[in-house]
Amino acid sequence: MDVPSHYIQSYCTIRDRSIALNGTTWLKMDSSTTLADFLKSAYRQLDIDYPKFHKMDGLCKAIFIATELMTRDSGPYPSDTALIFSNRSSSYLSDNKHALGIFNTENATASPATFVYTLPNIALGEISIRHRLHSENVFFIFDRYSPEFLVPYTQAALDDKKLANAISGWTEISGHTCDLLLYYIGKSGSVPHTVAQLKRIYNEHE
Amino acid sequence: MKTDVFIAGDCIISPLGMGSKLNFEQLLTGETAIAPVDDATLADHRIHAARIADHQWIGKIRNASGYTRLETLFILAIQQLIDAHSIPVDRRTLVLLSTTKGNVSLLHNPEAQFPENRIYLAEMAHAIQHYFGFANAPITISNACISGALALSVARQLLQYSDTYDQALVVGGDEISKFIVSGFEAFQALSDGRCRPFDRDRNGLNLGEAIAAAYVTKKATDDAVRIKAAASFNDANHISGPSRTGEGLYRSIREAMQLAGEPMLDFISAHGTATVYNDEMEAIALHRAGLSDTPLHSLKAYYGHTLGASGLLETILGIHSLRANRLIPSLGFQHTGTSKPLNLITQPTERPLGTFLKTASGFGGCNIAMIFEKV
Amino acid sequence: MSELTQELKAKIITQLNLEDLTVDDLDDHTPLFGDGLGLDSIDALELIVMLDKSYGIKLSDPKEGRKVFETVQTMADFIEANRK
Repeated sequence: MDVPSHYIQSYCTIRDRSIALNGTTWLKMDSSTTLADFLKSAYRQLDIDYPKFHKMDGLCKAIFIATELMTRDSGPYPSDTALIFSNRSSSYLSDNKHALGIFNTENATASPATFVYTLPNIALGEISIRHRLHSENVFFIFDRYSPEFLVPYTQAALDDKKLANAISGWTEISGHTCDLLLYYIGKSGSVPHTVAQLKRIYNEHE
Repeated sequence: MKTDVFIAGDCIISPLGMGSKLNFEQLLTGETAIAPVDDATLADHRIHAARIADHQWIGKIRNASGYTRLETLFILAIQQLIDAHSIPVDRRTLVLLSTTKGNVSLLHNPEAQFPENRIYLAEMAHAIQHYFGFANAPITISNACISGALALSVARQLLQYSDTYDQALVVGGDEISKFIVSGFEAFQALSDGRCRPFDRDRNGLNLGEAIAAAYVTKKATDDAVRIKAAASFNDANHISGPSRTGEGLYRSIREAMQLAGEPMLDFISAHGTATVYNDEMEAIALHRAGLSDTPLHSLKAYYGHTLGASGLLETILGIHSLRANRLIPSLGFQHTGTSKPLNLITQPTERPLGTFLKTASGFGGCNIAMIFEKV
Repeated sequence: MSELTQELKAKIITQLNLEDLTVDDLDDHTPLFGDGLGLDSIDALELIVMLDKSYGIKLSDPKEGRKVFETVQTMADFIEANRK
């Protein structure tokens, strides 16, 4: 391989009921905690005032928390930071809720506040608002975590627009489980943005 | 090394028929796919929408019972492209699927005919891969209403900057379901008749169905169209409401124009959903970009809003417009209805055409602008 | 009347996920949108659904909504006048 042009500057993993920043545990709760309570506890631990958080669905909340933690480590994201995300279940949590509402035989209801979250890229909109990012967004759906696709694509997108920064990763939230790895890419650092490194980081969080 | 990327083939399946040339010709005669729909499985009252008829897809593929309606339509479009351009199914071919909701109609639907795991987009992608024997698993993009155009942009980036693939098949599609109708209804976004993009009396959108497919390659053929530039910016303003300043769309257009070398545009294919706020936002962004006078259309009054297909569908029709040197009128427009007036195309004018701009915007605050030119 | 305003406050807080607020924090005359509670267009749509589901009142003109949803008090007045 040639000398890498981009490096992983910080990363956050959320597995079941634990959150780690750059490999160090930041929050760990009992596995019996509901996903909603777990994400709310993480928000409380962030100690910020952002009431909109409570309106988000689980996918957005998990992504919000991870990007909040990474920026504490690596500083504010530049406004042109590209967002390149992926998962398997798309916006399943909200899809499920909306479908249950409209097929409810007793009292069928469509809630606008639920429906708006039935697109995975809404999460990218939420963090763009929070971090004032006017940038390129893509949300991919894969069968499983696929650095083999994400790395060359992210590199192509960065080269295309001569960008220094991106937030990229895998954000699988479905039912009760959380399998999230987000990483912030920049022009300097010690961990090169490669498939091998991303496999290592993904597997280090038990 | 930067290589140019082209669209060298295309296919459309819509309520107006099968094939992109046929669809283009229908538009020039003013044909619309939008009609009143009374279907209790979608809504408990009449809506106006554009739906693909059963005879267009039922029984048209092998092992038909193993594929959902939407998968069948995707397969039919891909088959057309493979047959027309002898596209290999090996490692060098990437399939990019663009859809907002895929098979979501199966979710909790008491009338669903398929197991619920088929709602996962990766399962749909797998079914399509299996049908053709593609070496690579298709990649799906689900990025709201810019998905179709964004998938083209992603294909271009991969072909231009990565040597992993030689060609891509980019296919966009969505179907109308109770899931989608009820949601847009809750947003009070549906028009009570045929939609009127950019018109003073517009009052919402129509939902539509279409499958649009493009063959994207590094080899230029005589009638290929070059993907000259693409740029995409988020509004960073609101997750559903269009930006009042058109910020993300304005930035997308400006960057795409700059990357393309500030070309003279022969026309603009706008998003133009016909909701009050969307069209106003687009007018403001185009005005800020100095493009108020460029001839412009929205194709939403022909097809409705085809969601994950729309950006791709409208790009393909724009390409046919270039080839035929005929401007497609913006159906449904009569009176200026935006604070910044635009130059809506009202007649199928014939004139030499070389370059056009396609824009799209969607929930989540996403926007995209792409520029296409004749080779 | 005050019973209805109390009920409305509780509903608004749950429906709109105003997690950090309690019924006591919410004044009858605090503007719900803009500088007051800072609700947005999705919240407005959600309130329209609430009027329909809880009180059987259909509001189809969003412009009408702007007046109705000014404060908890204006909502209560509107419901009293239109309730079936």
